[in-house]
Amino acid sequence: MVSPTPKRRQEPRPVVRGWRRSLTVLCRHRLAAAGAVIIMLLYASALFADPVAPYGPAFDDKEKFYHPPVYIRVMHEGRLQRPFVYNYVLADPGTRAYAEDRARPYPIRVLVRGDAYRYLGLIPSNLHLLGVDQPARLFLLGTDQFGRDAFTLLLFGGRISLTIGLVGEAITTVLGMLVGGIAGYYGGMLDNILMRVVELLQGFPSFYLFLFLSAIIPAGVSSGMRMMMIIAILSLIGWAGFARIIRGMVLSLREVEFVQAARALGLGDLRIIWRHVLPNTYSYIIVVISLTLPGYILGESGLSFFGLGVQDSWGNMLAKAQDLTVLTQYPWLLAPGVFILLTVLAFNTLGDGLRDALDPRAQSS
Amino acid sequence: MTRLDARRAVAAVVALAVLAAAGGAGQAAPVAPRLPDIPVPKVSEGGPGIRGGTLVVSTISDPKTFNVVVAQETSSSAAVGPVFEGLVEEHGETTEVEPAMAESWSVSPDGRTWTFNLRQGIKWFDGKPFTADDVVFTFDALYDPKVINSFADVLTMGGKKIAYKKVDAHTVQFITPTPFGPFLRTIGIPIIPRHKLEAAYKAGKFMQTWGVNTPPREIVGTGPFMLTKYEPAQRLTYERNPNYWRVSKAGTRLPYLDRMVRLIVPNVETARLKFQAGETDVYGIRGREFSAFKRDAARGNYSVYEGGPGFGIEFITFNQNPRGAKPPKLGWFSNVKFRQAVAHAIDRQRLINQVHAGRAVPQYGPESPANKLFFNPNTRQYPYDPKRAEALLKETGLSRGQDGKLRDAQSNPVEFELNTSAGSSDAEATSRIIKDNLEALGMKVNFLPRDFNLLVSKLDASFDWDAIYIGLTGGVDPHNGRNVYHSTGSLHFWNPRQKQPATPWEAEMDRVFDGAASTVDQARRRQRYNRYQEIIAEQLPVIPTVQSLGQTAVRNTLGNIRYTNYGGALWNIWDIYRKR
Repeated sequence: MVSPTPKRRQEPRPVVRGWRRSLTVLCRHRLAAAGAVIIMLLYASALFADPVAPYGPAFDDKEKFYHPPVYIRVMHEGRLQRPFVYNYVLADPGTRAYAEDRARPYPIRVLVRGDAYRYLGLIPSNLHLLGVDQPARLFLLGTDQFGRDAFTLLLFGGRISLTIGLVGEAITTVLGMLVGGIAGYYGGMLDNILMRVVELLQGFPSFYLFLFLSAIIPAGVSSGMRMMMIIAILSLIGWAGFARIIRGMVLSLREVEFVQAARALGLGDLRIIWRHVLPNTYSYIIVVISLTLPGYILGESGLSFFGLGVQDSWGNMLAKAQDLTVLTQYPWLLAPGVFILLTVLAFNTLGDGLRDALDPRAQSS
Repeated sequence: MTRLDARRAVAAVVALAVLAAAGGAGQAAPVAPRLPDIPVPKVSEGGPGIRGGTLVVSTISDPKTFNVVVAQETSSSAAVGPVFEGLVEEHGETTEVEPAMAESWSVSPDGRTWTFNLRQGIKWFDGKPFTADDVVFTFDALYDPKVINSFADVLTMGGKKIAYKKVDAHTVQFITPTPFGPFLRTIGIPIIPRHKLEAAYKAGKFMQTWGVNTPPREIVGTGPFMLTKYEPAQRLTYERNPNYWRVSKAGTRLPYLDRMVRLIVPNVETARLKFQAGETDVYGIRGREFSAFKRDAARGNYSVYEGGPGFGIEFITFNQNPRGAKPPKLGWFSNVKFRQAVAHAIDRQRLINQVHAGRAVPQYGPESPANKLFFNPNTRQYPYDPKRAEALLKETGLSRGQDGKLRDAQSNPVEFELNTSAGSSDAEATSRIIKDNLEALGMKVNFLPRDFNLLVSKLDASFDWDAIYIGLTGGVDPHNGRNVYHSTGSLHFWNPRQKQPATPWEAEMDRVFDGAASTVDQARRRQRYNRYQEIIAEQLPVIPTVQSLGQTAVRNTLGNIRYTNYGGALWNIWDIYRKR
């Protein structure tokens, strides 16, 4: 009796749908592609904040606070020039109104020497992508109450806000997959206990818990440590709902043939969960990540509103702008809000596109 | 006497003191005009007005009690402000002490016995006559150790009470244990009705009576307005007292207004929106709003009144209390050179520009330049000078290492926590700038805004703080500040309620305050208080920053407004009327 020998030694592989096909679908999804580009730009600008920002994060011009965003001009005295800005002089100290001093144009220079920094704490440099000669200033988004450049602060703030999303989501995902996977795979008593814990966490009025936990962070901790603690607090609750859905998926997956086969071959439980069961939830996980990641940025903004967020994050910058005088006279200080909105929208459109791209039932031509 | 002011996030030292020369009799009562039921009404100096109309103001917090004697915070005392009055009052413009419910007074040659003639014909809102029994009852209540209140602190000299007695139905006599300089300015406490409160007082329930759940009609006073309705978190409504004891020069019974409403709003931003929408008549403008308010004054039909520097003080203070601060911080903070270095490190011009939009002046001593009677301009000054600050730090043994960090002789890095009241954007901005200034010297400052009530409890109960940026409201007589600057004071922030003065300069300050209180001669009191300002400016237990200029917007439809920074826009509420 001869039959074709199956490749016995090869473990049953999870069903990997064509990644290439998914990528094509994604690229055709214009909004999603735009979202992906925006996200990449945001992360790149945060990563290269030191050279991209015209000034250093500690820079302030004590004379030019509440400075409006500068106009970038090309016409000086009727003649076309390379892009330049004028110097701004204080016109009314009461309302902090500034006027352009049209006497002399200050061309915007590329790769200029400016505030010194150590890039990523390693490479010492003082090169900045853009800059202008003093006394003019390249305040692309104006300055705040202390004369700090809002655009520079936004780039450095992005490091914090965007990292909070990534790290928080990573913790949530690992925890959620682990707990959901174990609960779903083993079922029974263990499942019962874990799911009750999940329900308990979901039942908490989470924002109050955030408020409470962030209020008890001691004052002495460094801002980096504080950020990590805020992330931990935000992910503490976030994983519960996620684990529940993974558990549901695993519950049905463990009865599938290839899992049974793996079990028959005597593979260890954890190996089966990690290698055979969970990979079948990846498409779902990726979509969930892109859709829930903005929640961390928004959550941190919410804490900042109560003065409990992370120093210099976007939410913290926005919280300082909640004042009628700012709204009516210095509206450029709302820029962090625009960036938060942009990030959230970009992640949502990307998530939408990913869902279409990874959905096996949505066949494209 | 101390009040906590939620709006300015300021622990308030409100007390009163002396300025009228001893032996001064009350103003001679004018003959005309008259009121049928009050033989000698007080004639108001305001211009003619029109009867009727409603005045609407806003406030950012609910009252906690209507019991004016035990009220500890401005939200409560202001809510019953138009309801209760004292024997004497301070004029809003001149700050002189004038007769109010007392028609006149006299003082014995030794300066200890004061006799007050009460104004006859005054009625409580419920129609009962006001007599000497009410005055005696008020003092019985506030001197009762079971009744916790702030008035008693200021009316006690060396642990002794002022003796008081009824001479006849309309005469009361006070005898102070020693001559008491601030007597006239402290005696104008609000008088409460005996017939309404005696039963509760006898039953030992005085502290709890007249809580905010009392029907407003029960809150019986003699003031220009009667509280008629309280809707929590919404508004307090007042109606005109038809039997009020003031009269205009033309013989009209005051007040002119029929009704007054205090809207309770959640925050200052809402108060501003309500004013701009025309829903309220008065708004206290913050410095950085000043220009915009001035610009829009015609369109909004209001005027902006500028009152100059205020009477309060805003400062940063360091914990020198061995019961709270721990070494090595205690060592740094209790070194006067450290505090002087901090004073030189603060860039006050930057505070004035960036926080107050130019509407403030630098302040180096404990009294405001606005206090024309007692301000001493010749105290030590601390202009912004980082180099001088660094030199002073070096003298204390603190120096900067290779890494730029400031360390003490045991190489502990100089690091501490700075708190201020959360939610007050001006206080937070100020603290940030101070933090910047100090970090430029190599210190590490952990800035953490905290809830106002939590700060107050740190200052007067738990003592676990490093540095706090906060403020006090002030009055004319420095005796007001006794609870702050006397070493036994409960608001002696840096080391409160000492049994013995901890330092020689605190001992000297105790002598200054005790001496000034028992001195009646005005010039000698001023000398003593000059010395107190010199000591504070030298020793800097509180490091003053800047004094903001007061400004208030008042709707043009109101007449007889005589705004001053001391009295505000509404101190002469009885004269104010609504134009037609």
